[in-house]
Amino acid sequence: MTDTLSEKTDAQLIEAFKAGSMAAMEAIVNRYEDRIFTFGLKMCGQLQDAEDIMQETFLNAFRYLDGFRQETKLRNWLFKIASSACIKKRRKKKCEPDHELSLDAFPGNGKNTTYQIPDWSNDPSSAVMRGEMKQIMDTAIQALPHKNKLVFNLRDIEGFSTKETADILGISVESVKTRLHRARRFLRKNRQGLQGAGTR
Amino acid sequence: MTDEFEKNFEKISDYLDGELDPEGCREIERHISECPKCRDCLESLQKIKALCREASQEKPPPEVHKRLLNTLRECLNHEHKA
Repeated sequence: MTDTLSEKTDAQLIEAFKAGSMAAMEAIVNRYEDRIFTFGLKMCGQLQDAEDIMQETFLNAFRYLDGFRQETKLRNWLFKIASSACIKKRRKKKCEPDHELSLDAFPGNGKNTTYQIPDWSNDPSSAVMRGEMKQIMDTAIQALPHKNKLVFNLRDIEGFSTKETADILGISVESVKTRLHRARRFLRKNRQGLQGAGTR
Repeated sequence: MTDEFEKNFEKISDYLDGELDPEGCREIERHISECPKCRDCLESLQKIKALCREASQEKPPPEVHKRLLNTLRECLNHEHKA
């Protein structure tokens, strides 16, 4: 059943869910949960927060699916809900920086709080290199101010266009560009670590 | 960063995203071919972008996936009946 459902379009799955199919709900989750989880993790850096964001995103999406307009892509709509969940979570916690942090000072080495994603590669050398690059990149992204981090995640990690990112966040195209430039400038400034890890 | 480099940085960043018009593209390509600093900037931005895409394939742990489905089934079934 689920195998067959995985071949259906988003619109077909939405219709099936509206008709009461929990299997269709599961198929939608399976299709998008990795991306929403990754987004939550990149935004918050902690497993529990990423899980909360993923749960809130899907719960709200299915609750309000009747109001979903089919001319919007389901993926974009899910990221709109996930972005709102991230903003809401940040307001509650009020612990993230409003300004860029130095990577030297950044507590990304917070061994107790930051969730390290397991690397499933069978090649030990490439696994070590990828793991190292990933850790440096994750730490650098975590050091970005929240607004710039949101834009950077949507544009450079999720691959949304500038216009799509503006629509998802409800801001202007110019604001997206400004925030993206700031994020990239910061990451480039801290690129020595990336180059060191990437060229070995 | 100098003002000129600062100005070019934004153009290079837009160029990377395909956001420049044909004339803007030609202008920045001409500049990049003559300026090692801006060429280095473009290369580093390309590398950062590629690294981000590569390092972003993550999966929730199985217990998280299971908890999510259980919560959704429970909440949605309950709301459907109410």
